Amino acid sequence: MSMLTFKEATLPNGLRVIAEINPEAKSVALGYFVRTGSRDELAGEEGISHFLEHMVFKGTERRSAWDVNREFDEMGAKYNAFTNEELTVFYGAVLPEFAPRLLGLFSDLMNPAFAEDEFETERKIILEEIALYRDRPQFVLSEKAQAAYFEKHPLAKPVLGTAESIANMTREQLIDYHSRRYVPENMTLAFAGNLYWEEMLALAEQMTRRWRNGQAPRNHPSFTPRPRKIYEPYDKASQSYGVFMAPGYSASAVERYAARVLSEILGDPDNGRLFWVLVDSGLAEMVTAYHHEFEELGVYTVYVQGDPANNAEVSGRIVEELERLEQDGVEEEELERAKLKIATSLVFAGETSLSRLFYLGLNYSYSGRYEALDTVQRWVMHLETFHVNELLENKPFSHALEYWLVPAENA
Amino acid sequence: MTIPVSETLDNGLRVVVEPQPWNPGLSFTILVPVGATSDPENRLGAASMLETWLWKGAGPRGAHAFADALDALGVRRQSGAGVEYTTFSASLLPEGFSAVLELYADLLMQPQLPDNAFDSVRALALQELAAIEDQPPQKLLMRLRREAFSSPHGQPVQGVRETLEAMTPEALREEFDNRYGARGSVLAVAGGVDPDDVIRLARKHFGSWGGETPEAPEVRLTSPHEFRIVQDTEQVQLGLFYKDVPPGHYDFYASRLAAAVLSGGMSSRLFTELREKRGLVYTVSAIPGSVKGFGYLTAYAGTKPDSAEETLDMLLGEIERLSQGVSREELDRARIGVRAELVLSGESSRARAAALARDVFILDRARSLEDVEAEVVDVTLDRINMFLEGRPFKDPWIGTLGPGEVVK
Repeated sequence: MSMLTFKEATLPNGLRVIAEINPEAKSVALGYFVRTGSRDELAGEEGISHFLEHMVFKGTERRSAWDVNREFDEMGAKYNAFTNEELTVFYGAVLPEFAPRLLGLFSDLMNPAFAEDEFETERKIILEEIALYRDRPQFVLSEKAQAAYFEKHPLAKPVLGTAESIANMTREQLIDYHSRRYVPENMTLAFAGNLYWEEMLALAEQMTRRWRNGQAPRNHPSFTPRPRKIYEPYDKASQSYGVFMAPGYSASAVERYAARVLSEILGDPDNGRLFWVLVDSGLAEMVTAYHHEFEELGVYTVYVQGDPANNAEVSGRIVEELERLEQDGVEEEELERAKLKIATSLVFAGETSLSRLFYLGLNYSYSGRYEALDTVQRWVMHLETFHVNELLENKPFSHALEYWLVPAENA
Repeated sequence: MTIPVSETLDNGLRVVVEPQPWNPGLSFTILVPVGATSDPENRLGAASMLETWLWKGAGPRGAHAFADALDALGVRRQSGAGVEYTTFSASLLPEGFSAVLELYADLLMQPQLPDNAFDSVRALALQELAAIEDQPPQKLLMRLRREAFSSPHGQPVQGVRETLEAMTPEALREEFDNRYGARGSVLAVAGGVDPDDVIRLARKHFGSWGGETPEAPEVRLTSPHEFRIVQDTEQVQLGLFYKDVPPGHYDFYASRLAAAVLSGGMSSRLFTELREKRGLVYTVSAIPGSVKGFGYLTAYAGTKPDSAEETLDMLLGEIERLSQGVSREELDRARIGVRAELVLSGESSRARAAALARDVFILDRARSLEDVEAEVVDVTLDRINMFLEGRPFKDPWIGTLGPGEVVK
């Protein structure tokens, strides 16, 4: 643990390269963190960031789609990619001897070939992915609630797009979006684990030399949440699924640590306040709370699922708990417990190179700074009740959107 | 090279420790062989309800005080009942280890099982059961297991509505008394600890634990057949169940590697043929599973109704084609994939504790990562192809879930 060193450099083309080096690690994880996602999509482009994430694996000038899949597997790489509202991340972990080859492969992939036949096949796969999520009420709820909470703000857009937007997407749109968003200045290449920095940096420089730089701006329109309560029937739900969304803090706000602790106090699945009121009593099957941080704002989210017969009572109890929290604040003992629990999780988050890569890359993508897990731990452990109670003075939960997806017969 | 240290206490509790000197934390898993396989037919769901009930107070502490005590030690925990056993896992910093073990000893040896919590335990169980309706893949795969096994291995972990409703506190207490105990249970620890300390502490806190746990029942199967669940979903779910070789068998890793050729990475056969070439599916997999003394392979795909038949034919065809053998390149990729996975799992104390506990339960011995790796490396092309020539994957149980008459 004490052996960790951090390195960073900016290549001539504007690409930032960062590494958290741990000579004791058994693996190397690396990834490209592209600052682009559903919030950056124009009208008619809904779902294009995620579509592009898929196309990245479908071949380049030098490699067929099959070559790509084969080469990852030849290294025994544990790899994948994900897209959310603000980021598209391509990542993998390998044994240290394969790190240069993994870097070479991912770097080549950042300029996909957009082959016509691959594009059409991938469209079908994404339509299957959308169908798969229609069968999962939890997911349907989170997409609908996010759209309702953010209304006209770009964070309202669905990451997967819609069946219509995907059916109408063209290859030219993807090429255009790629050239607008995948520019070195808008990307971070991150490493974690057992690696040689100079070697990796030199390789990265060589492999990305011909990338064209440019600007990839992002809009930050103002946003004011509109509190209300919505019940929506869903014919594929047999249980009830509910969320409360309320204004929190951004991914770079200093208040975010206190907001995370507050969410833990409220929604820890074993010992949070809501657990005792709802799950211990058998009213609901499960309840959690978390603090979701975006670039310029954040959202407290409470999620609950359970028997539709208890809907009204569950909703009422949550409102009661949120009001009590805003009125009385948190207590010292529960704060200490929540802090220690978060601090312990951070120790375990540091076990694997892949998990370290996520912390490193995500945080750097937002703040442009390195934040060691130890540092996060210190921030958390220094919190006092007044830090947390201060956040409650604005009465965030009085501005909550409450959204329920319920079985059709319970609407 | 890290070799796990094993010790059996006088009461039969098996303790296994894998030290990770670089790790500032530690994780442990306590495995108690109480699961769906030992639920009596009229008490299906008992193991699962018991696991929930145990947390409602233990030793001198009520539920809330017990949770607070664990939180005060920073413990991250998971627990749950499964087909063959219930596990209690925790991750923590080494300085709290003794205190945490003492709490878990209370949980397993002196739970309060209070009457006044029983109704909420049942309410929770009924909701968990109902929630499966909203998870079509899980629903199908559970049913597939039920259709394939005629032994208790097919029993639903969550129970069924009738047995949950008929359960009483007395019945559940009886299940606890009959089934929870030291002999047959396992404590597995991985992380920054000294094995001697762990064994000493295990003896101190669990030494007085008495009792026996149920024997694993013999596996019995039905005859392979097809079944269909009609449900109004967007995607049709397809599930196949094949007999495979059991853990500890000479061909066990040949079979695991064959499954990896089928479904290990993104260059695997199922992914390539069904998804990459034809766009039939977003998800397709063939995942090996095992219970004590028996192995199986479960294949799964989800697709829209109009491509369900083609997808099922492709799945069956690709698995059938395994009997013609795999290529050198396929075997090499499968082997490096499995080996890399092993090395990466060695970074996580939680993954190691869980794997060690399962090893002791299934094989009656704990293997180091190096032991497992050696078994994988041992599988040559001749060996795997000779194994596959014997056509191990044939005559599956076939299940579909979806709207109307979509699959013939």
